[in-house]
Amino acid sequence: MFRRRQPADADAFGAEVLRYLESLFATAMRLTRNRADAEDLVQDTLVKAFRFSDKFEPGTNLRAWLSTILHNTWRNRVRDAGREAVEVDSTRLEEAETTADGLAASETPEQLLLRNTLDGDLRAALDDLPEVFRQAVWMRDVEEFTYAEIAKMLDVPIGTVMSRISRGRRMLLDQLRKTRATA
Amino acid sequence: MSECRRIGESLAAYVDDLLKPGERSGVDRHLAACPACRKLADNEQGARRLLRQAAPQLLNEPLPPGLRTRCEALARERAATQLAKFGPWWRVRLVPVLLTVVVMIFGASAFFSVATRRSDTLLAAQLTADHSKCFRFLGPPDGTSADARNIERMLLEQYGWTIHVPSSSADDDVQLIGARRCLYGDGLVPHVMYRVHGQDVSLFVLPGTERKADDLVTLGHRSQIWSRDGTTFVLVSAADPADAGGMASASRYVMREAR
Repeated sequence: MFRRRQPADADAFGAEVLRYLESLFATAMRLTRNRADAEDLVQDTLVKAFRFSDKFEPGTNLRAWLSTILHNTWRNRVRDAGREAVEVDSTRLEEAETTADGLAASETPEQLLLRNTLDGDLRAALDDLPEVFRQAVWMRDVEEFTYAEIAKMLDVPIGTVMSRISRGRRMLLDQLRKTRATA
Repeated sequence: MSECRRIGESLAAYVDDLLKPGERSGVDRHLAACPACRKLADNEQGARRLLRQAAPQLLNEPLPPGLRTRCEALARERAATQLAKFGPWWRVRLVPVLLTVVVMIFGASAFFSVATRRSDTLLAAQLTADHSKCFRFLGPPDGTSADARNIERMLLEQYGWTIHVPSSSADDDVQLIGARRCLYGDGLVPHVMYRVHGQDVSLFVLPGTERKADDLVTLGHRSQIWSRDGTTFVLVSAADPADAGGMASASRYVMREAR
């Protein structure tokens, strides 16, 4: 039976939502490819999540619920702006620098270099994918949502989700090979 | 649809190991025989493995300064709003309990009201209880008399009741000692109090009701019920008075005069 959220749950709900802040921001970064836009998107997502918290059914997947809000918010923004996602190459460089600053101090310079290179290449390859493929691959292989959850979040049939995942994965590998070949 | 295209639609589920055993073996057979599809499957598998290995790092995006603080403030604001909306826990639980009690009281009152209208015994029992209570705890001290016209004025001005109150009668040894308002099963009614041959006697007036005349004994008291011009009267006295003749005469006086 649907249980309406009670005040005793209010703090717990907020704390649970905040647990997913980093992954929401990471997803927002892949969608917007821009730190400032990603920050706005995450904040808008949380405002909506808290405003409509009584719509969330306890016991279901909160991460998927938040991700749905985030994707819907982004879709509406893109539609309202009448544009595709913003492409800013310099942002990617800034992002790589920020990532390096945020790394654990225990890593050796070699590990740091290897990891930065790998993650940087992978992020760059992901960001180069057309948005529909980037979203599908990210949600499936990084966030590990089910096909059904992704279909619901993106509001497309499951067959379309599977097709986008398949094609997006192959495009990603092609992109990485090109990057390695030119390095 | 060509076999390669059909297999291509199943590749995501194949790589994710979500196909049923029969479907999977079918794809395996095709891939073993089709190098082009095998290459697609291998590429997809490679990308999948790479992404899943890197997922923890990809998800570990350093947050912009201040974002967490702002989001924590949103969470606190939301928690405060929820608290204000629902109130403290005891209020949340007390309100339904109080509503239930109120509904039960109204329900019981409605039942009691209907039952009282139908039963002379129930009516007599309630008025007898009021009679005893009023004289024991609320009655005026012995020896004081009241003026009938003053009581009529008081009943009219304070409660809006227009009734003719039988005054004291020396001939029948009836002394009017006061009046008050009483609550019984069907509402509030005037209660006029007399002293008759040293005994407590009550006259209850129920405006707007008609009953058949009745005379019954309840709880050790006699209740004489009669109606006149759309008003019911009930005279309550001791069931076995010391001066039965005098009491009967006094009762007839009150019953004749009350209207």
